Amino acid sequence: MSTNTIISLKDIVVEFDGERVLEGLDLDIHDKEFVTFLGPSGCGKTTTLRIIGGFVAPKNGDVFFEGKRINDLPPYKRQVNTVFQRYALFPHLNVFENVAFGLKIQKLPEKEIRTRVLEMLELVNLKGFENRGVNQLSGGQQQRVAIARALVNHPKVLLLDEPLGALDLKLRKEMQIELKKIQQSLGITFIYVTHDQEEALTMSDTVVVMKDGDIQQIGTPEDIYNEPKNAFVADFIGESNIVPGIMKKDFLVEFAGRDFECVDSGFTPMEQVDVVVRPEDIKVVPTIAGHITGIVENVTFKGVHFEMEVLACGTHWLIHSTQSQAVGASIGMQIGPEDIHIMHKMEE
Amino acid sequence: MKSKYSALPYYVWMALFTIAPLILVLVFAFTDNNGAFTIENISQVGEYTNVLVRSVWLAAVATVICLLIAYPLAYIMSRLGPSKQRTMVMLIMLPMWMNFLLRTYAWMTILENNGLLNRFFGLFGVGPFDMINTQGAVVLGMVYNYLPFMILPLYTIMVKIDNRVIEAAQDLGASPLKVASSVVLPLSVPGISTGITMVFVPAVSTFIISRMLGGGGNLLIGDLIDLQFLGNAYNPHLGSAISLVLMVIILLCMSVMNQFGEEEEREGMLI
Ligand SMILES: Nc1ncnc2c1ncn2[C@@H]1O[C@H](COP(=O)(O)OP(=O)(O)OP(=O)(O)O)[C@@H](O)[C@H]1O
Ligand SMILES: [Mg+2]
Repeated sequence: MSTNTIISLKDIVVEFDGERVLEGLDLDIHDKEFVTFLGPSGCGKTTTLRIIGGFVAPKNGDVFFEGKRINDLPPYKRQVNTVFQRYALFPHLNVFENVAFGLKIQKLPEKEIRTRVLEMLELVNLKGFENRGVNQLSGGQQQRVAIARALVNHPKVLLLDEPLGALDLKLRKEMQIELKKIQQSLGITFIYVTHDQEEALTMSDTVVVMKDGDIQQIGTPEDIYNEPKNAFVADFIGESNIVPGIMKKDFLVEFAGRDFECVDSGFTPMEQVDVVVRPEDIKVVPTIAGHITGIVENVTFKGVHFEMEVLACGTHWLIHSTQSQAVGASIGMQIGPEDIHIMHKMEE
Repeated sequence: MKSKYSALPYYVWMALFTIAPLILVLVFAFTDNNGAFTIENISQVGEYTNVLVRSVWLAAVATVICLLIAYPLAYIMSRLGPSKQRTMVMLIMLPMWMNFLLRTYAWMTILENNGLLNRFFGLFGVGPFDMINTQGAVVLGMVYNYLPFMILPLYTIMVKIDNRVIEAAQDLGASPLKVASSVVLPLSVPGISTGITMVFVPAVSTFIISRMLGGGGNLLIGDLIDLQFLGNAYNPHLGSAISLVLMVIILLCMSVMNQFGEEEEREGMLI
């Protein structure tokens, strides 16, 4: 355990009705870090947060907070606050009282409570809503009350379970920036859950990719994006072309009917592998200049770029390019050695 | 139009069984044997002030005890798994399937001077205690008989309290006591006021419990009314007047309580 580890999960196992939901999870979270859990629905993200918050007792394993084992500490004694996935606002209190709840329990002076709550409401764009009942708010507004209610307490660790899920794109981007700013200026550790991989990549210091109650990869956003550990991570983080290949020897891989130079080594010769190529790493060139030739099947405008589906060697390739091509056109595809990522086949 | 017609049977029902009896009671209360108008019946009720006070007092004590027992029980029940909840509801309803008189007789044999309890105490060489024919016995009878009417409305309201809201309060640092006072209590106010009504109203007008467990010395309003109609003090005019006064007392108590309930709600808002 390094010195600035604030939360540490050791071999956490959780079962619901005999069904394993977390399978021996190990994770260290550092102080003031922005950690994001990313993974498909049902993979155990919320459950992991509930372990940290104290709402689920693990069947096996230990939870440490600043080096002390807290397995038996009830939620109300933990220095952690949560933005719940389904808000869980107090229906009998108005917006102001909801946000003030934690501060009142801490018995802060009335005046300080007032300033802090109003400040926080302004931050989440809910100025003037103080006296509204929470049931008279839209989903997105309720979500922002939930964020304010947790954040106003300045906890050491804030757990956020898809906190921006109900917001429209513009507000979501604004809130992402706000949250990141708050996290940095207050020095709070954020443990953040999201489905949105772009959100994970732009906001986090560390991304934890999960699948079926297991951690697939932990790393910086760059690591996760550029060096995915397996095809699942590659596929989940951003769009990818994943094709079967054979690693002939170090730095040489065969796929799509020909040999490619690559930068990977250390595989057994002739090992069956997954080859991952990002859509934006495939260059569109005249047919004679390309490694592979394909037929454009479909073109979609995506704002900044065009997304093309290209049929080549029996595989549908996804290509992102700033230049559009005519449907039905023959194009060449060029793939550089450093754009080819080789992964061991996933054992299913 | 349609809804107007479909409500008609209920109007008829109400006219026949609610309005008409009320008018009859009013008429009887304000007339004498010859049918002439008088307020003598009403003023005569004043002679029974001590009975009125005792009735309200004992019913209030029983209601408070019911609330104190039922509140934690209903909360614990509401947090159990669905199948355990069903079992608990069954267990609470079970005594109500037995006849009311039978249940109260059973208490007589338990509390009597040579009843079960006193014989039990006798084994240890203490007693016998005077338990039957005391106000305590009457309150016990009321609590025992009306407790389910307190538990069930409380439970019904409490199962509707979302567990996530309770978790949110804990997450924000609320101890179990604080969760109870600032989340569960304000959210269960409607159940509390229903429960109080359902216990207080029958308790204040009961006559069997007081007669069987309270002896002759602990007469309640219910007994008084019973005497005027079926007893040897036959006087339906006075009986009606007492009923009327009882109704007014209940109305007063309820409106005081509603006031309190509303305040509670507003206080909850401020927590
Ligand atoms: N209280 C519970 N009882 C039984 N099973 C549960 C319970 N809570 C969660 N599960 C199961 O545990 C698994 C993980 O659930 P969890 O809520 O952690 O997923 P998640 O990663 O947060 O998913 P999502 O992204 O959809 O919110 C799911 O298969 C879910 O059905
Ligand atoms: Mg979840």
